Amino acid sequence: MNEFGNRVSRILEENLIFVSLIAIVIFFSLISESFLSLTTLSTLLNQLPALTVVSIGMTLVLISGGIDLSVGSVVALSAGVIGAGIAILGLPLPLAACLGILTGALIGFANGSLGAYLRLPIFIVTLGMLEVSRGLAYLVTDSQTVYLGAKIQSFAIPWAGSGISASILVALTLVVVFEFLLRSTVFGRQIVAVGSNESAAEVSGIDPRRVRCTVLVLSGLLAGLGGLMNAAYLGSADPNAGIGLELSAIAAAVIGGTSLMGGRGSVVGAFVGVLIVSILQIGLAQIGITEPTKRVITGAVIILAVILDRWRAT
Amino acid sequence: MIGDTRSRLRFAAKGVCKSFATPVLRDVDLEISIGHIHGLVGENGAGKSTLAKIIVGLENADSGSLYLDDQPYRPINTSDSLGAGIAICAQELSLVADLSIAENILLHTSTSSFTRIRRKHAEENASRLLDLVGLVRSDPRTLVSRLSLAEKQLVEIAKTLATDASLLILDEPTSALTAPQAELLHRILRDKARDGVTVIYISHRLGDVLSVCDRVSVLRDGEVRLTKDCNVLSEKLLIREMAGEDADFEAAPRSIKEASSIHLTVEDLQTSKLPNPISFDCRRGEILGIAGLAGSGRTELLNAIFGLDKRIAGSIKIHMDYGIAEIRSPWQSIRCGIGLVTEDRAKDGVFRDHALAFNVTIAGLRRISDPTGRLVRRKEASSVAQLIEALHIRSNGVDQKMRELSGGNQQKSMLARWLHCESQLLLLDEPTRGVDVTAKLAIHTELVRLRDAGITVIAVSSELEELQSLCDRIIVLSNRKLVTEFHRNNWSQAEILAAAFSEYDREDARSSASAY
Repeated sequence: MNEFGNRVSRILEENLIFVSLIAIVIFFSLISESFLSLTTLSTLLNQLPALTVVSIGMTLVLISGGIDLSVGSVVALSAGVIGAGIAILGLPLPLAACLGILTGALIGFANGSLGAYLRLPIFIVTLGMLEVSRGLAYLVTDSQTVYLGAKIQSFAIPWAGSGISASILVALTLVVVFEFLLRSTVFGRQIVAVGSNESAAEVSGIDPRRVRCTVLVLSGLLAGLGGLMNAAYLGSADPNAGIGLELSAIAAAVIGGTSLMGGRGSVVGAFVGVLIVSILQIGLAQIGITEPTKRVITGAVIILAVILDRWRAT
Repeated sequence: MIGDTRSRLRFAAKGVCKSFATPVLRDVDLEISIGHIHGLVGENGAGKSTLAKIIVGLENADSGSLYLDDQPYRPINTSDSLGAGIAICAQELSLVADLSIAENILLHTSTSSFTRIRRKHAEENASRLLDLVGLVRSDPRTLVSRLSLAEKQLVEIAKTLATDASLLILDEPTSALTAPQAELLHRILRDKARDGVTVIYISHRLGDVLSVCDRVSVLRDGEVRLTKDCNVLSEKLLIREMAGEDADFEAAPRSIKEASSIHLTVEDLQTSKLPNPISFDCRRGEILGIAGLAGSGRTELLNAIFGLDKRIAGSIKIHMDYGIAEIRSPWQSIRCGIGLVTEDRAKDGVFRDHALAFNVTIAGLRRISDPTGRLVRRKEASSVAQLIEALHIRSNGVDQKMRELSGGNQQKSMLARWLHCESQLLLLDEPTRGVDVTAKLAIHTELVRLRDAGITVIAVSSELEELQSLCDRIIVLSNRKLVTEFHRNNWSQAEILAAAFSEYDREDARSSASAY
């Protein structure tokens, strides 16, 4: 019996984040009758995709020992490029979408080249790129929200009755794909190695610059995709989209067990982190908590997550 | 003279012991009279720097006691020792690169953290000290990051002098200085000694030691082997004491392999850290030792061969079955069958928070993956398990975290990393540093076994006994130059040590050191 108890407590400990997620869901369904409903689920699923894909990229960058502060602005820039492509140049949607994602990758490449190859501090480089991308987003949209119509929204609108949209399906697939990349491929190991001990990685024949640069390109690319998802969700390209999104992504990654020091983390964990943050938002709103209080609680949860993680690690 | 000899002692140590993984200081007794310059010499790892650190409170002695002016003295930290009038000029320079010379000197001397800095006064003070140590033309407002190594060393010395301490400890103060600079320092020290300041002078430059010191103590394996007045000592005598009586220690006889084909050719190799061209070659299945003092360029040479340090001239050629390759990067080295076990395991060896399997396979991930880059767990587990067994690595299995392994087992898994890659040429930097005796023996046995299997080993070690019992041939670096080569059965510890010291006392060596 005692052994059984030990095993249970070990399983709880190892899956602390899932346990927390379930606890939060149970908590809200106990106080709010309307919480466990299709409407909540649909609201949740609609909010998720952009933050999810951006968090995937952020997680990879953090594991490699870097940080990418530009992603929120890149979401707006990518959306802006898509909007301008369709509304001004009259490009077909798929081509405009590709252009937007490519723009994200380019910003990521700029981050990577400056940070990894010129050895500039990545925090400052991506902070600068946060401003650059935001400015570019205003420039391409002429500081106006560009309305894009129903066609792009079909990407984000749930299929009849299912509550699931193409957007969320893509995001979930990417979570699985990138978790696999991280856990079970040579490249994933290299990311972890570089973040864990850069000089040991170099002695092991891994080029840290190439790895750091590649994850920043991936992060930019995923933020570009986030821009598409955001535009699809809103039905328009908003140059003010994604303000502060980089912080939510960092929070989701950290709640999911990713270390800001690099070398440790999980994409699935980051996704659960996204779920926790989003469910908190929805649940707190439903039980009538005001916006300022919501922010206080969300902030406290982030700090609590780090404390729990530290406690688990020792 | 007033009083007997004992009352004139400035500093004394009685029965000081200190161990890290192995004993570093054993029962050290030392007595230093007021106004004496006392030399401390010994091989690397003999315990000189540890003793200095204990005196200033950077380390705690395990047992034994220290006395200052015959009063028991037990420093907890450097502010204790500064308060007691002791200042150290450490081997590792402790200057803040982004502050000016004047600010660095001020940091060391100001007594309170919140007193207002009187810039003018600080600069004048610094300027006076710089004049004293011979940096006459330097502006005290210069940032330390802009100084050369020799200039930094002089600032470090100036900083120590600025404390007006009555017991100065200088650890390798002249390692980067030219002969005139060193001579000036010695004059300053003699003046200070005349004013009643006591000096502990630690150096590899035996000529310097004999010329400036009143007495010298030789440390060997953490023990004081000899303390004598300088006028009855010679360099030869010091080297013999440092190397020890058992200089002709020899491990069990081993078969010396017949000369085989060339495996590695290093020709006129120069890097930013190795200014003098180095050439040597290494045969397949040979264990080649690299001897030399700390800072003689041993690590830099291995790093250059592995492609970690960019070379600025010369060539590194590796001879393989299908031709000859030039080494330019670590990545390429590994592909050519070279593996490097670094000196500092914690810094650039292990991934401490990751599994043993992660650590062993990281340099050869292609060997456990399919062509698409997907890792095959089964392959990983089985090949790591094999290596664990072959090298007798004690662990709870392939998934155990590296940080939970002992130093010896961590070191074995560093070796396993390259065996996993089937490396043909192993570059080992201090392969048994900080491991216990049994692990050390196991590693030695394994290296001999590898050699017999046709693998080439190049090993750097500060322990001459280790090199002598392992190697077929030893090359000696001194002051970043390759000075000589010894063949097995044709060497003595004293000869190797003399070669290791040889470039530190000649004039040309000094000027090249300052050029660096």
